[in-house]
Amino acid sequence: MAIFKGNDVHVVAPDVAISFFKGIMPFNTLDAETLSDLARHCRIDFFPKGTRVLTADSTELTHLYLIQRGGVKAFLEDDNGEVTLKDFRGEGASVGALAIIRGTRANLNIETVEDTFCFLLPREIFLDLIEKQAGFAHYYLKSFSEKIVITAYSELRHHKVAPRSNEDLYLFSIRVGDLVKTLRKIAASATIQEAAAFMSEYRVGCLLVHDTIDEEEIVGIITDRDLRGKVVAAGLDYNEPVATIMNSPVQTVLSQSLCFDVLLKMMATGIHHLAVERGGRVIGVITSHDIMLLQGHSPYYLFREIRAQQQIAGLYPLAQKIPEVIRGLIGEGAKAGNITQMIAILNDHILGQMLTLLEKEMGPPPVPYCWLLLGSEGRREQTFKTDQDNAILYADPGDEAQKQAAEAYFAVFAAKAIDHLVNCGYPLCPGEIMATNPLWCQPFAVWTHYFDHWIAAPEPQELLNSIIFFDFRAGFGETMLAEELRAYLNRQIAGRDLFLFHLARHCMETRVPLSFFKNFIVEKDGEHKNRLDIKRQGLTPFVNFSRVLALKFGVKETNTLARLKALMEGEQIQGELWSAASEAYELQMQQRLVHQLRQIEAGILPDNHIDPADLSDLERRMLKDAFAVIERLYGVLERMYPVM
Amino acid sequence: MVNFFKPKTWFAPPHPLIVQNREAFAKFDQSKPLTEYTFVVCDTELTGFDRKRDEIISIGAVLIRDLQIDLGTTFHQYIRPRNIEHTQATLIHRITPQQLAQAPPLAEVLPAFVEFAGNSLMVGHFLPLDMDFLNRAARKVLGGTLSNPGIDTMRLAQGYRRVLNGHFQDEEDRSCSYVLEDLAKEYHLPMFKAHDAFEDAMQTAYLFLFLLKKFRKGGLLTLKDIYQAGKVGNMWY
Repeated sequence: MAIFKGNDVHVVAPDVAISFFKGIMPFNTLDAETLSDLARHCRIDFFPKGTRVLTADSTELTHLYLIQRGGVKAFLEDDNGEVTLKDFRGEGASVGALAIIRGTRANLNIETVEDTFCFLLPREIFLDLIEKQAGFAHYYLKSFSEKIVITAYSELRHHKVAPRSNEDLYLFSIRVGDLVKTLRKIAASATIQEAAAFMSEYRVGCLLVHDTIDEEEIVGIITDRDLRGKVVAAGLDYNEPVATIMNSPVQTVLSQSLCFDVLLKMMATGIHHLAVERGGRVIGVITSHDIMLLQGHSPYYLFREIRAQQQIAGLYPLAQKIPEVIRGLIGEGAKAGNITQMIAILNDHILGQMLTLLEKEMGPPPVPYCWLLLGSEGRREQTFKTDQDNAILYADPGDEAQKQAAEAYFAVFAAKAIDHLVNCGYPLCPGEIMATNPLWCQPFAVWTHYFDHWIAAPEPQELLNSIIFFDFRAGFGETMLAEELRAYLNRQIAGRDLFLFHLARHCMETRVPLSFFKNFIVEKDGEHKNRLDIKRQGLTPFVNFSRVLALKFGVKETNTLARLKALMEGEQIQGELWSAASEAYELQMQQRLVHQLRQIEAGILPDNHIDPADLSDLERRMLKDAFAVIERLYGVLERMYPVM
Repeated sequence: MVNFFKPKTWFAPPHPLIVQNREAFAKFDQSKPLTEYTFVVCDTELTGFDRKRDEIISIGAVLIRDLQIDLGTTFHQYIRPRNIEHTQATLIHRITPQQLAQAPPLAEVLPAFVEFAGNSLMVGHFLPLDMDFLNRAARKVLGGTLSNPGIDTMRLAQGYRRVLNGHFQDEEDRSCSYVLEDLAKEYHLPMFKAHDAFEDAMQTAYLFLFLLKKFRKGGLLTLKDIYQAGKVGNMWY
């Protein structure tokens, strides 16, 4: 009877070690048998607070230390006793990995800053893992590799979003190349009737049109709708060549594009038949219908419902469906950048349809107008149910009568619109930055004065209040008005370094939560004690940084990722900083989305306060790296706008 | 001081394991550095606290060497009680009656445990209770009691609190809880699920390691130092 072990493999390894390893990277990739074996070779040690665990250049490592409870600091000490703090490491972090891998003595001093329990994994066993387990060496030698980023996303997905039964969605796994059907095409010189017969024969709703001589050259596309609208309804002769009714040129997508990206393109452009290209050749057509068939709860389905809705009240329940659609996308592994884009598109369509119906109800406006979206909506970075931040910009009236008519019309129009938006589930802006506020429902000339004022005399408090206006974009209506205002703004800002200086300085006032340890720097008081405000402390620095540089260099984009990309393309920031910043920003967006989604599903009002205790080891690590990027951004601003 | 002179049983010579056990501790030296001892941290689950009627139904233990918990040297065994009907009524443990019915009897488990305990010191939370049941069983099964010196982590925790509060406070603070789970919470130890002999032994091992190293950081380097400073009570049970 073997009931205790020396080296007896039948004894079950203690759960405490196995569940610990399952919770930390990269051990969580190991199979159960390996984990159980590891656990049985571990020891547990305790180091009271203030214990020196390792001494640089002196301690030989016999074990890898994995922190179960507590935390350590890593530091270097020079000959004069000068101490440089390198790092804090908390639960789930390891100590000594690099030295073991390199076969050197400890390279840092390690001292516990709390009472600390560690799992000790023998050196030989750790080296064996490094050698035999894919990903182990990679994990310890590279800090922010792509693989880890991917794992982080998949972890977020799998652990934070509860699985649903029939979650059979494919938007992110299927590429359009896999969906595309046999290519059907016809020469441009063929008659309309020939084309229609051909379409009937093959039961297709659209047909590519190729050059009469060069069959490889696709020159256009015709659809059922063209036959109906341009031929039958218009009484066109069936013997005309198809070239007369085709749409040209054809919009194309690459065959390796994900269905999700193609869907985004269709929704953004309103074109629902796209040619699919592989290696420079068109291999077929993809339609929104093909993609829709993939799934029931698709964003596209909702999108169509919104477009088809003819009653404003009918939009209310549709707007409430947005979180459900977004949930599906997160579940499928969409990245935050894509998701917020999708949220923006859906919200824009709700707004657009609602205002269209409202115009029908009230009659046309006396002057053209543009419904402006500000702040996060302006940046296309809303998550769930962000406050309304909007305004109305209308064309300068020609005379006093028109001025009064416009004021009267837009006051009623705005009041009704805001009401409907509230019913759709978009809460009111507590700061009254909404089109219903007469201050923010103004003609073009007044808006230019506002911006002149903010730029010319930047009062710190006023600057703070006006910041969200600098992220405006057209939500609905006469887009040109918004574009003109943006062009005006960029002209005015050029060379106004005092304004940008204040903006930059304001940006740097947000502390970097650098002391990322198991407690981070979290809000010290109030309701959200010990929680990290991921919006204010994590995301806002990126938003602010991008805004300052976008305004400085006249970048028209308002979206943070788009601004960063434009700045990189304009060589105003380095490519490496761009990729680090984009990655860090997007990961935090994801973190926030998942957090809010879970709150919505728990019936809680979504907020931005994340409890560090809810984060996995990997998530903390990723956040920590993200915070380090903020320091670098501030460095750029610091050099650009030094205090002296 | 050494208790193998106490009368054990007149009916049979003690089991070789017991003889071996006695010899191991015949000349026990308390003055060596703490790192030179091994400790077996153990916990028993009982059907109840009635010494006449109740029985051990599970033993869990883990070894501490070099002042580190050795996860490779653990002991966990359920024991089939003689009176299994009585057991079902009183169970508050996580053990199912089926598990108990399939488990070996005490006569098989105890020798293995004595062997596991070897030359180590016994450590337990409120150890006298566990030792009382273990020794009564050992007397019956092996014809003698265990000679391993013991340390009660509850007394150790009281000693630690006395040290923290200053030595002059004679009165025990009645408001303090010395329940294992409460101590683990107070010292922010990783938590284990209660009422499982092995999990409780692990919890006790964490507490023991914590207290021992806290004492050690305060300059108490030998077993004798710990006994004296902590006034942890009798060494033998």
